[in-house]
Amino acid sequence: MPILTLEHVTKRFGRQMVLNDLNLIVPEGRIFGFLGENGAGKTTTMKLILGLLRADQGVIKVNGEPVTFGQTTTNRLIGYLPDVPAFYDYMRPQEYLQLCGEISGLSKDCLNQRSTELLTHVGLANTHQKIGGFSRGMKQRLGIAQALLNEPRLLICDEPTSALDPVGRLEILDILQQLKGQTTVFFSTHVLADVERICDEIAILHAGKIALTGQIDDLKAKHATHHLRVKFATTAELNQFISLGWSDFQTDLVSFSVTLTAPDILKLEMTVMQALATQQLTPISLERTAPTLEQLFMEVVQ
Amino acid sequence: MKAYIALIKKEARENWRTYKTPLLVAVFILFGVISPLFAKLMPEILKQLATTGVKITLPPPTALDSWAQFFKNMRQMGLLVLVILFSGTVATEFTRGTLINLLTKGLPRRTVILAKFTMTTVLWTSAYALSVAITTAYTAYYWTMPTYHHLILTFSGPWLFGLLLISLLILGGICFTTTIGSLLTCGGAVILMTLINIVPTWQASNPLTLITQNLALLTGKLAVGDFWPAALVAVGAIVISLGSSIIIFDRRAI
Repeated sequence: MPILTLEHVTKRFGRQMVLNDLNLIVPEGRIFGFLGENGAGKTTTMKLILGLLRADQGVIKVNGEPVTFGQTTTNRLIGYLPDVPAFYDYMRPQEYLQLCGEISGLSKDCLNQRSTELLTHVGLANTHQKIGGFSRGMKQRLGIAQALLNEPRLLICDEPTSALDPVGRLEILDILQQLKGQTTVFFSTHVLADVERICDEIAILHAGKIALTGQIDDLKAKHATHHLRVKFATTAELNQFISLGWSDFQTDLVSFSVTLTAPDILKLEMTVMQALATQQLTPISLERTAPTLEQLFMEVVQ
Repeated sequence: MKAYIALIKKEARENWRTYKTPLLVAVFILFGVISPLFAKLMPEILKQLATTGVKITLPPPTALDSWAQFFKNMRQMGLLVLVILFSGTVATEFTRGTLINLLTKGLPRRTVILAKFTMTTVLWTSAYALSVAITTAYTAYYWTMPTYHHLILTFSGPWLFGLLLISLLILGGICFTTTIGSLLTCGGAVILMTLINIVPTWQASNPLTLITQNLALLTGKLAVGDFWPAALVAVGAIVISLGSSIIIFDRRAI
């Protein structure tokens, strides 16, 4: 059974349609990247899953149980890390986890053990200062600890790395990657490098719908048919080839290569080979390439 | 129940560490001390203020003057301090987004409202009782205490009015999600009660009676029966405020 399903979910804010008949399935045990431009509706989708917003239409299920707005019992299965987690500044991290654990209904022994484990895991075990004095990275790490406290089946993270410096970003990604196999992680981002680094599966949200979804490797393989890389021995040859007026291409001056993109790869290959023969150009290599995630993303959102 | 107790502990810690509890207690101890002292020293103060040639004669102050001073301080300052200190209790949770983590852990929304009301009520009751106790002690020290009528009911008036203000602060916070919204809801309700007081036939059931007729009740000029309608209306208003807060909060998107 998938851990999370969204069926025909629609959400409007006034006249603005944010989600329009959105369908999504997240299988259990994956690290699932939820991509989309700023304002695409990623946070709205997450808040709908958490019952913090009411969907206009559609059904959301967590582990087969429908999500209800307001009193959301499915949240016992979920851990949530908001984009900028807000804490009580006057508390210490241990006290905050104590509060969260008591609300979740954890027993005292279990809570003490769990919070010590988690604080050690996120590197805050020896931090006794109040949360008010925390850096953003520390708050984000405490955010992960509180989200994992009740051993959730599904961890939802809303852009967990976007406000962090490179060190903080890597720390958070490492923590998430270590969860692989234990908890399903559903995390939104627009940092594609983060997705390539830790995700097995992605969905791209565009214009209120899921424009593309699947395992990253499958998606790349499926879209590999659109890209052809031609590599030359010299810059002169490369420039001569580019000057033929190709409509959609990207050059790489370091490796003297150009990547051409077209919907019909066979036709493109024929055209390129004819052009090479006419110009008496001999490339070092001519190969179909897998697109980068960035190219995939751009294809979908443009 | 576990979540309710957890939240009560959180509120207690919050009020202590954000200095609300110490401030409230300090201010109400001060009221307890200065009310009788001010009544005792009033003739002396007036004598000092009087310009040469003008003679002010005042009857010697009594225990009743001390209580008059106490109720005046409560009405004019005590309740204001309570409202200002706790005006942000709900609103800051919304503006800072601190409830999101807790609600997504399965915390029932109504627990937030009930725990906040409980904790603020406990603090208000303790501070008020402390103030009454100190005033009583000093009044008994300065004067001989006469026999009073309906002591408990008289002192319950401002206390109950305080509870009404707390419930209105919560309702305002839930409706408008800002501190200013809480303050305006409270202020608006007090203005409304003041306007209602213009109509003589409505005065008896106006909660404002709870803070304006205390001396009359204490001296037996006002019958108990004349005090009850206002108290009942106040209790009704508290229940309605809290009930609406729960219903509105359950339907609010966060």
